[in-house]
Amino acid sequence: MKYIKQTLSIFLLLVLANNQVKAQGYQLPQYEKFTLQNGLTVYLVEQKEVPVISVSLIMPAGAIYDGAKSGLASLTATALKHGTKNFTKAKLEEELDFVGAYINTYASKESAGLSAKFASKDKTKMLALVKEVLLQPSFDAIEFEKEKKRLLANLEQQKESPRSIMPAYYDKFMYGSHVYGNIIQGKKSTVTALTLADVKAFYKQNYLPEGSAIALAGDFNSNEMKATITALLSGWKKGTAPQKNLAANPIPKTTSSRVLLINKDDARETTFYIGAPGISRNNPDYIAIDVVNTLFGGRFTSMLNDELRVNTGLTYGANSRFGTLKNAGTFTISTFTANKTTEPAIDKALEVLSKLHSNGIDEKGLTSAKNYVKGQFPPRYETAGQLSGLLTQMFWYNFDESFINNFEKNVDGLTLEKAKEIIAKYFPKDKLQFVMVGKSSEIKKLVEKYGTVTEVQIKEEIKN
Amino acid sequence: MKKILLPALFALGLSSQAQMKADDVKTFTLKNGMKFLIVEDNSIPNANMYMFYKVGSRNEYQGITGLSHFFEHMMFNGAKKYGPKLFDQTMELNGGANNAYTTENVTVYTNWFPSAATEVIFDLEGDRIASLSIDPKMVESERGVVLSERSTGLENSPWEFLTQSVQATAFQEHPYHWPVIGYEDDMKNWKQADLERYFKTYYAPNNCVTVIAGNVKFDEMKRLAEKYIEQIPAQPEPPIVHTVEPAQTGERRITVQKDVATPYLYIAYKTPEARHEDFYALTILSDILSSGKSSRLYAAIVDKKQMATEISTSYGQSFDPTLFSFYAIASKGINELFLEKAIYEELEKIKKDGVTEKELQKIKNQKLMEFYGQIETINGKSNNIGTYEVFFGDYKKMFTAPDAYNKVSLDDVKRVAKKYFIKSARTVGVQKPSVED
Repeated sequence: MKYIKQTLSIFLLLVLANNQVKAQGYQLPQYEKFTLQNGLTVYLVEQKEVPVISVSLIMPAGAIYDGAKSGLASLTATALKHGTKNFTKAKLEEELDFVGAYINTYASKESAGLSAKFASKDKTKMLALVKEVLLQPSFDAIEFEKEKKRLLANLEQQKESPRSIMPAYYDKFMYGSHVYGNIIQGKKSTVTALTLADVKAFYKQNYLPEGSAIALAGDFNSNEMKATITALLSGWKKGTAPQKNLAANPIPKTTSSRVLLINKDDARETTFYIGAPGISRNNPDYIAIDVVNTLFGGRFTSMLNDELRVNTGLTYGANSRFGTLKNAGTFTISTFTANKTTEPAIDKALEVLSKLHSNGIDEKGLTSAKNYVKGQFPPRYETAGQLSGLLTQMFWYNFDESFINNFEKNVDGLTLEKAKEIIAKYFPKDKLQFVMVGKSSEIKKLVEKYGTVTEVQIKEEIKN
Repeated sequence: MKKILLPALFALGLSSQAQMKADDVKTFTLKNGMKFLIVEDNSIPNANMYMFYKVGSRNEYQGITGLSHFFEHMMFNGAKKYGPKLFDQTMELNGGANNAYTTENVTVYTNWFPSAATEVIFDLEGDRIASLSIDPKMVESERGVVLSERSTGLENSPWEFLTQSVQATAFQEHPYHWPVIGYEDDMKNWKQADLERYFKTYYAPNNCVTVIAGNVKFDEMKRLAEKYIEQIPAQPEPPIVHTVEPAQTGERRITVQKDVATPYLYIAYKTPEARHEDFYALTILSDILSSGKSSRLYAAIVDKKQMATEISTSYGQSFDPTLFSFYAIASKGINELFLEKAIYEELEKIKKDGVTEKELQKIKNQKLMEFYGQIETINGKSNNIGTYEVFFGDYKKMFTAPDAYNKVSLDDVKRVAKKYFIKSARTVGVQKPSVED
C-alpha cells in the first residue's frame, strides 16, 4: 500500500468541500429534528439510493463515568447485546444475521453508542430489536462471564500490537487523573473485579433519554418514521437526578517535557507520539486549525510526511492530528521508525515543528490545503450511515447545519495572517510530551535528551 | 422508476428502487487497448478514477520479490511533465487525494477528487504511464519507506508472520509462495534495470482497466482519455505465469515462534481461482462458517466451547488456485491442537450432513445487503466494477452475482465442503511463544 490513510480528528472530520469551479458548496440534506417528552432528541433524514436504513444513537455513558471501575462503560455497552426481554443472545444474533443486519453497541471516551443497519423492508422487526437491546436488556449472568473472559484475553492480545495500545497510554499520560485519562477498554485488574451488579447499576445511572439522541437515515418516509420512533421510544424513562459533568474539572497542566518509554523487548521499531494539550471540539478556530494541520501533518504532502518519509525514507508514514473532546483535546505527532533510526526520526519531527514556527506557511500552501479539505469533504457524508453519524455528532457537540453549510465560506475566509496566528497559538513549541513503544536497551539512553524518562514494561498493566 | 435489479430479488420481497444496474456502466476501449468503464453518478460533486493493472507478486520470481509493490510506490516519484513530488502536490492542490495497493494478482491506483479536477487527473495519469522517470536517488529513499512498511506490518499485526509462513509452505512452486511485500534481502537489492523492465512490460495501457465513477459525463471522459492516454503505445502481452502449483499430496504443518499471549492457528485448504465454477459455493460456505455470531464456527467454538477468542475464514478472488483460510486465536489455557480438532469437527458435520435451508437463505440475504453496501458509494462502485472486470472477465458479473449466489444449492455447499476440505490438501500453521515442547 502506498500510505496509511489517517483520520484528522477521531470524532468528526470537518473538512468540507465544494466544487472548485462552480460556486455551489456541499449542503447537508434536509432533515427533521424533534424531541420526545422524555427528552430524547430525534433526527430523521431520508436518503433513498439503496433500500437500507442506518440508525445511530449517542448516550452520555462513556468511560468518563467509569470511576475506579475502569472498563465498566465499555463492558456495559457490550452487555446490552447479551439478550433481551424476548430474545436470548443466540436468538438475537440469529435474527440479525438472517436478514444481513447488525446492531453494534459500544462505549467511547465520553459517550456510549448504538449503531444499526438493515434493509428497509425489515424495519419493523429491526427497530423493535433496537428498542429491546436499548431498553430491555436482560444482562445474562453466564454471557457476562464469557464476555469478561474474552475481554481479558483481548487486553493481553492488544499488547502484541504497539499501535493498538498507544492511545490508552497516551491519554493517561496527557490527562493524568482527569476523567479523559480513563482507559476505555479497562485494565486486567479492574476488569477482573467487575460484576454484573456493576453493569446493571451503570446502565440504570447513565442510559438516560434526556441527554441522548437517535438519528435515522435512509429509505423511509419521515412522517411515518416520526410516528414509529415516538411510539417506540417514548416509554424510555427519564433519570431522577442529573448526571454530574465530570469532564468539566480542570485538566492537570504539564510543566515540563516528559518521556514515557514503554519497553518491548522484541521491538523491531520504535512507535512514537509527540504531543501537547490541544483544543476542545467547540473551539471557534476549529476549521482554521484543521486547514493549518492539513499542511503540517494531515495529508501525504504535509511537512511531516514530506520530511520523514519522502525526503529521508525514515518511515512509511508520519502525521499529526488534533483529537477533540467536549472540554479538551490533544495535539499529536505520530510516526514510527526502525530501532536504529529512532533518534534521527524524533529529531526530524521536532525540526519540522520548529520550522512551522520559524518559516510559517505561504500563500500557495494555504490555497492547496484549502482546496484539499474542501475537495475531500463530500465523500464523508455520502451514505446513510455517515449521515446518521453526523447528526448525532451535531447533537453531542452542539452545532447545527450552518456549521456544515457555511464551512466552505469559512475555509475560504482563512487568511495567511490568521493562519500565522493559529500556528503561534495552537501548535506547541515546548513542554512536549513523548510516548513511545520500543526496545529500551537500545533507545533509553538517547531519548533522555527529550525530557524526564519514565520507563514501564509493555507486559505490565498501565499505571494510574 | 427504474427497472428492478434482478428477478431473483422478487423472491426476497424487495420493492423496486432507483438502484444501479449493469446498463448504468458504459464502456469504451482506446486504440492502445486500455479499457474504460464509466458510471455517471451525481449524488456528490466528486468523482474517482481506479486503475487496475494486471501485475502483482505472482509476476515476480525469487531475487526480485516485492518488486510489484515497490513499483507501486515508484509510480508516485516523478515523470516527464510532473517531476518528483509533483504528482501528489498537483493532485492535492486541485483538491484530490490518492492511494494505491498491491496484491498477489493486481496493482490498483485510486484517485479521489472533486469532479472539476478530472482533467488534471487525466493529465497526471497520462504523464506517468507515458513517461515515468525512475530516478536512482528516489529509488534509494523509497527503499527505506517500503522496508519500514514491512517492519511495521510485522510489528503491529500478529498474523503477518504466520500467514506468510503458511503461504510459503502451501505453495512450493507457484509464486504465491512469497509475500507481496517481498523478502528483506530482495528488497535491498532491486536493480534499476528490473524497474525499467517492469514498467515497460506491465504498465502498458493494454494491461490496465480504468474505472471512473461520479459526477462526470461519459462523452467528456472519452474525450479526455483520447487526449491524454490514447497516444501511449501498446506493448506486447506480458509473459504468462506458467507455473502451476503441483497437487498437494499430504498435510503440511509448520510452527513459528512469536511472543504472543496464546497460540495463533492458521489452517489453509487448497481451493480454486475466481473463475472456477465452485467459486460461489465456496464463498457461501465461508460465510456459513464465519459470517456473524450465529455462524457455525463462532457459535460452536468461540461462544459455546469458548476454545477461541476469535475465529474467521476467508476465501478471496485470485487468478490462480488459492487458499481457503481459517484463522483462530486460542483462549487462555486451550491447547491449539484441541482448537484445531474442534474446527475439523465442525467441517466434518457439514461434509456429512450439509447445511440447512435457513443457513443458506441467511447468506443469500447477507449477500444482498453486501451488494447494497458496494453500490452505496462511488468508491464502492468503482472498486467492485473493476474487481469483477479483472477477476471474472466481465464487470456485468457484479450484477449477476446475487443471481449466481441464489443458484447455489444445499447440495453444492455440501459437495464443495467434501471436495476441498480434505486433510491431504491442507497446511496448518501454529504460532506460539514456546516452540521447543
